[in-house]
Amino acid sequence: MFCSIKSPTERRYVIRMWVSAGLCVLFSVVAALVFRFYHPHGVFSYLAAVLPALPIIGALVYTGVYLAEEKDEFQRNLLVQSLLGGTGGILAVTTTWSYLEDFAHAPHLDLVWVYPLFWLFAGISYGFVRARYR
Amino acid sequence: MNQPFKNLAMRRYLYRFLASIAFYTVFLVAAVWAFPRYHPTGFLAYVLAILPALAIVAVIVVVGLYLTEEKDEFQRTVLIQTMLCGMGATMAVCTGWGFLELFIGIPALKLYLIFPMFWAFVGFFTPMMQSRYR
Repeated sequence: MFCSIKSPTERRYVIRMWVSAGLCVLFSVVAALVFRFYHPHGVFSYLAAVLPALPIIGALVYTGVYLAEEKDEFQRNLLVQSLLGGTGGILAVTTTWSYLEDFAHAPHLDLVWVYPLFWLFAGISYGFVRARYR
Repeated sequence: MNQPFKNLAMRRYLYRFLASIAFYTVFLVAAVWAFPRYHPTGFLAYVLAILPALAIVAVIVVVGLYLTEEKDEFQRTVLIQTMLCGMGATMAVCTGWGFLELFIGIPALKLYLIFPMFWAFVGFFTPMMQSRYR
């Protein structure tokens, strides 16, 4: 699956992102089970709740590491522009949604959706940025 | 103090930014004033709620325009890198807070705070990034 990626830097990045995603799912399940069956309190409850966020923070760090390691300037620029597009998209959506929540009583958007939405916007931007360079 | 005004892209950015913030202030005051007094509903409520957010979206567009117009590669690189760091830190805080909200029920973070939080992180990382290039 990963052998088709020729650049070792990109391959490392893709593998790390998949591992992070897997750990995030695993830790989310663990945290949900812990809260369902053990009803933790105090510091332990905070640690259990934050557990699924750790692989996500790892994924963000790996993205930075990839940008620092990637030798191919074109690929790096593609990702940078997509990430900036994703940043703009998520900031626009969260701000708009927040005012709709406050003033027009739109349903609450949970903060955990911010990260996947960011990557969704980055993915959409990636398509546009790639098309620009064709 | 006068130095940024010598740069055409920076001057344009400042004017556009200030215009967007002026619109934001007017629209926000209008929304805060109108909702408790006239209790708008339906389409009008959505329009009034979205107006301040549109000014924030304009700020995001203004930053994008600045990045495309800025000729000084150093300035552009520093801003892009600080924005990427700011995005990473914002995503980390949102995800961590999101899981704490979900599992422990800590107070919800208002979504409109994500935008200023992002810029606070950008401001925090800017001197670090500039010192890297000294």
